[in-house]
Amino acid sequence: MSGIAPAGDPVIPDYGQASECVIDNGVFCGDWFVDQWSTAFWPPLIDHIYMVVIAVAIGFIIAFAAALVAYRKKWLAGPTGIVATFLYTLPPLALFQLLVPFTGLTLLTVEIALVCFTLVIIFQAVLAGLAAVPDDVKKSAIGMGLDQRQLMVNVELPLALPSIISGLRIATVLTVSVATIAAFVVDSGLGSPILKAVSSPFNTQFIAAGALAILLAFVFDGLLVIVGKILTPWTRVRV
Amino acid sequence: MHKLIGHTLNRRRALGTLGAVGAGMAAAALSGCTATTANLGGTKSGAAGRRITVGSKGFAESWIMGELYAQGLRARGYQVDLKTNVGSSDIINTALQSGQIDIYPEYTGVIVVNWAGTDTALGTAEETFDIATKWENEHGVTTLQATPFENKNAIAVRKEFADEHGLKKVSDLKGIGNFIYSTYPDNVSGAIGYEGIVETYGLDNMELKTLSIGLNYQAIERGEIQAADVFTTDPQLLRSDLVVLEDDKKLFGFQNVVPLIRDDVFHDLEGDAPEFLNALHSLLTIDAIQALNEASAINRIDPAQVAKVFLQENGLM
Repeated sequence: MSGIAPAGDPVIPDYGQASECVIDNGVFCGDWFVDQWSTAFWPPLIDHIYMVVIAVAIGFIIAFAAALVAYRKKWLAGPTGIVATFLYTLPPLALFQLLVPFTGLTLLTVEIALVCFTLVIIFQAVLAGLAAVPDDVKKSAIGMGLDQRQLMVNVELPLALPSIISGLRIATVLTVSVATIAAFVVDSGLGSPILKAVSSPFNTQFIAAGALAILLAFVFDGLLVIVGKILTPWTRVRV
Repeated sequence: MHKLIGHTLNRRRALGTLGAVGAGMAAAALSGCTATTANLGGTKSGAAGRRITVGSKGFAESWIMGELYAQGLRARGYQVDLKTNVGSSDIINTALQSGQIDIYPEYTGVIVVNWAGTDTALGTAEETFDIATKWENEHGVTTLQATPFENKNAIAVRKEFADEHGLKKVSDLKGIGNFIYSTYPDNVSGAIGYEGIVETYGLDNMELKTLSIGLNYQAIERGEIQAADVFTTDPQLLRSDLVVLEDDKKLFGFQNVVPLIRDDVFHDLEGDAPEFLNALHSLLTIDAIQALNEASAINRIDPAQVAKVFLQENGLM
């Protein structure tokens, strides 16, 4: 069996008539968006949230640990910072392609690149927050008999929190946008409808997916602000 | 329903892998990670697993073909992962060779020109198919029957531009002064790419602008380019006021779609899978594929839905 198949007699389905707006590729076709929400937008949105949360969580664990070590051993701060900055400057798209031979067209490839991207921001934010704790505060804490660990947990980290939270906010918002490029590797996340709308131009899909990404960034940012407020009640001004 | 189950399974697998790797992530990030791909992108062979990964290329027609393969195979009891929009011919072919995908639809002319390295103009679709099959078989890949429809590259110009310069065939572009032609980035070199056209037709006056597939229609309407590389089955082409120039030197060859299946995967398939793929391909006439493309690219119905309706109405699922 080989060669060109003999032409059969296919039943050609009637796919109905699309609305004027869809056929003419109008700026934004609300009817189509509502129709397609559950198949074309909801699953990628969920995938996108997954991707970002995993990347920021892993990035935070690594960067936080590295910052604590660098804070204790001052001579490490320079080299660690340089490594993190180097990883940050790698163009994500190039990194995706470089990783594909090793880790395949998988979520793992995407996450490695996204994590690399978050490290430097979180690392610097944690380190800066710790470095900004006033000396006399630390001295009085030690004077009250706190050991190194208690000092870190009860004094230094709480005072560094606002800086850490602001680093997390920047890293998260950035990851939301960089994660759209993941569509070059896996057919997942909000980049997927964007990429497909590029190769088969359709404004509505483009705008809808883009707007969802922007919205998602705002929501994450807002949530982190709220978390920060809850964790640092002493920053609220009392009238 | 099948699709849903497939999705959650995939995600769980992916997350499990991530969790396992999370611990070593710091080292991985620095060293480029040493995880093997065997359990990440690859598939288990053997009748018990019967997991198949289907891939598709970077444009709507290929997405629909990928969905047709995936849903039809799922209906026959295979566990199918579908990787849509994997990318250019070179990327997806590498993915097939390295076991990251098992099956994908490819165009016979692409195989012949890109990899089999045939420079001579080919006489027939059959001959093109034979050379493509021979090359694939030598590289550990089995092919089945090709579709009756062809989707080949062509050069299109605006009707006004054609009238103004009296253009009917590609040769007529010679000596009309400088003009800009656009094609997608991985179609610049090679026999049917920009360089091949310039060489074969002696078009030294043709300048190049690379654009992603699909952006050329807007560009030509706005007058940013004068000639565009188009696909003959593209519904946008049928709806536009563009004129396709006759390929008088038979440069663009023949482009029927053939399923490429890696040998080791093919040996694990039951008889019903090849049977289904052949039956499906024989139904994909030019009318059928144009209707499917139109449903996806004009009506904007999700390719999965487009494929499902076609398979159901033709009794393939």
